Amino acid sequence: MDWSALRLSLELAGWTLVLLLPVGILIGRWLARTEFRGRPLLQAICALPLVLPPTVVGYYLLTFMGARSPVGGLIDAWFGLSLVFSFPGLVLASLLVNLPFAILPVQRAFEAVSQELHDAAACCGMSPWRVFARVELPLAWPGVLSAAVLTFGHTLGEFGVVLMVGGNIPGETRTLSIAIFDRVQAFDPAAAGRMAALLLLISLVTVALGYGALDRRARRGAGQS
Amino acid sequence: MTRSGPLILFVLATVGLLISPGGSAEEGPLIAAAASTRSALEDVAGRYLEVTGESVRLVFASSGTLVQQIENGAPFELFLSANEDYVLRLANAGWTRGVPVNYAHGVLALFSRPGLFELSDDPLAELNHALNAGKVKRFVIANPEHAPYGSAARAALRHAGLWVKIKPLLLVGANAGQAVQYSIQAGVDAALVPLSLAQAAALNRIGDLQLLPAATYPDVLLRQQMVMLQNSDRATLRFFEYLQSADAQAAFRDHGLKSPSLSPK
Amino acid sequence: MLSVSLQHDRPGLALDFDLPPGQLSAIVGPSGSGKTSVLRALAGLLRTRSARISLEGDIWADTNTGIFQPAHLRPVGFVGQKYALFPHMSAIENVSAALLHLPGVERKRQAQACLDAVGIAGLAARSPSALSGGQCQRVAMARALVRKPRLLLLDEPFSALDRSTRKRLHVELKRLQANLGMTVVLVTHDLDEAAQLSQTLCLLRRGRVLQHGLTSEVLRRPASVEAARLMDFSNLVQAQWIGADHKGVSLRWGEVVLRAAVGPLSKPGVPVSWTIRSSDVFLVKDGHPDESSLGVLVHARVTEVISMGDSVLATVLVQGSGGEPLRMRLRPGAVRRHGVHVGRRLRIAIHPKAVIVLA
Repeated sequence: MDWSALRLSLELAGWTLVLLLPVGILIGRWLARTEFRGRPLLQAICALPLVLPPTVVGYYLLTFMGARSPVGGLIDAWFGLSLVFSFPGLVLASLLVNLPFAILPVQRAFEAVSQELHDAAACCGMSPWRVFARVELPLAWPGVLSAAVLTFGHTLGEFGVVLMVGGNIPGETRTLSIAIFDRVQAFDPAAAGRMAALLLLISLVTVALGYGALDRRARRGAGQS
Repeated sequence: MTRSGPLILFVLATVGLLISPGGSAEEGPLIAAAASTRSALEDVAGRYLEVTGESVRLVFASSGTLVQQIENGAPFELFLSANEDYVLRLANAGWTRGVPVNYAHGVLALFSRPGLFELSDDPLAELNHALNAGKVKRFVIANPEHAPYGSAARAALRHAGLWVKIKPLLLVGANAGQAVQYSIQAGVDAALVPLSLAQAAALNRIGDLQLLPAATYPDVLLRQQMVMLQNSDRATLRFFEYLQSADAQAAFRDHGLKSPSLSPK
Repeated sequence: MLSVSLQHDRPGLALDFDLPPGQLSAIVGPSGSGKTSVLRALAGLLRTRSARISLEGDIWADTNTGIFQPAHLRPVGFVGQKYALFPHMSAIENVSAALLHLPGVERKRQAQACLDAVGIAGLAARSPSALSGGQCQRVAMARALVRKPRLLLLDEPFSALDRSTRKRLHVELKRLQANLGMTVVLVTHDLDEAAQLSQTLCLLRRGRVLQHGLTSEVLRRPASVEAARLMDFSNLVQAQWIGADHKGVSLRWGEVVLRAAVGPLSKPGVPVSWTIRSSDVFLVKDGHPDESSLGVLVHARVTEVISMGDSVLATVLVQGSGGEPLRMRLRPGAVRRHGVHVGRRLRIAIHPKAVIVLA
């Protein structure tokens, strides 16, 4: 059991969640509430990682962030930071790949808050910020929760991008899914099986907790308070 | 505001506890090595730890993949390839430091399902008989374009005049490791695979494993070379030298590799 | 004075009118007439291309000077058709949401007081999903009123409710408005509701004001054919202007000469439209004592009789009129007494005071 790999997986999922959720809320709400001509195109771009194979995303990241690229070279020179084959690089890749999971459920949830509710809130004297904090966000919370669960769970299982952008560096980019792959390559199916079972268990618990929270909320909303 | 407290706590707890220091454990030199050297190198690294108390971090992948990663800036400090060409490529592009050294020599083995051939001194001739008798439906090699063991396999088959006959029956693994995986799982009749991997995967329990005589393929294809990379430091140099020691060489031989050929480059 | 001047493209609006302060005014129009947009513009929810809105001197919007106060800064209360209660808050929390500028305890106190005022004191803790339509509407009303707005805007607030609830809420509304003395603008497509509740009536069609004034006046005398159609005057007839004198205006309707007590000046021969309420066309029995005082008497033949509950709609062709039928609304008693059935010949009276000449 590669505990450092487990820790890396949880760290990656955690960082992705913490960094991406606010972005998801901001962009999701913006897409839900703002009409502009390029909107379908922007929505398509946000949804792109859903349909692209992770290796394609990884490829572009390597091309644009790798040592050979101008961006990668600059960042290395200024910050001494490499965005490939490093944990920060993984986080960056994970943020990009999980965009649709963080944005789409949130967007749908904000879309479901009707214009009438917005109007009523404004006419109650609520400033746009208050409307967001007291009406929109509480009502969109199930969507935000879904986004959180999906992002966390999806990142736990991420493989293609991590392998391409991170390599398989122990203690740095060898997440649990990579470690499982590595054990398979080493003809050690027993170890692979143990780690796979653990990953499965964690993912299941994550999703179950998430849906449990959603369920409780739905039941509370349907009955009398 | 919400009753999703448990979930939030769970996430924060896992993230919080595990981000805390105690993180980056192993810090030894980062070594990129061809997948076919895995069992040998893990043995060598173990011995090195006993002898010097120093540890190394090993990353295994196909030589071609590792070259690409290095060219994209992967922070490896030492590269062990399954051939010489990849090392030359890195050297020409300025990624290396110091002089490359041959550390071992790869060995090709012929795997066959039980009873397909008789064991003999000329396994490729046996293969020929089996082919002519129509007993071979599927033959595995690693990808001859990228994998050193694949190109050695192709050379061996060509040398024995079997390449054209066997081409339609080929199942090509993306790398040597996958070729071995196929041999285990995919209902394969025969395969040409690295001996080191075949041993690690215990292929001899599934079927027959025979070595190919030396003259069946050009020596140079499997001369395995290693070189230090730009990131390397003194600790890397120490390990680099240890790999050339008799101790390490013995480990290589134990795990299906030969000593580096002494012929000059 | 609530002064409104709006110009907009989508939906098309071009209107300019004033409403008296402290009274309930109704804006009536068919769907698509832009009445909701007018209300939203008044509330500060819609920014029109060109606007000037002010209440008793306070300018809320003026595109000439670049002023636009958004909704949350205007002292308005808004109640919509679908109540728009915040589903995640209880009734009292909904009302408190309008008082976020007050500390918590004071908020609750005022909110509860408002719920009491609209008659649902005991439902404070209920969530909107557990309230009936009428109760929801009261909560919405309380929420709109709790800030003591200077202008209360109602967008068809009762249309989704059943008749008895609606009637009860009508009374409540009148009571509240009388007590609080605030300016109320009620948008509705229901003319009867407007007639019952409002003192000022504004007819809207396709973003334009058709007619506007005291409710009783507007209802009695439509100013144009379109206004008449909107107010469901079922008789709209073409005639020719003949002349005018101190007693009124004369019209030629086919061969029939009609008199209208009030009418515009025009030239002889110019076509005009006129209308009369279907309930203002009377049956005249032979031998009526004071026939001349009933107005113009004409013969007519009944072509259609439809019984609609407590009234009967009869369509008659007036002899000599040139073929346009008149519709009459009769009481079942009258129908029986005069023996009104299809084909029957009758005499009907058209009184000059009932004839409305349209522009």
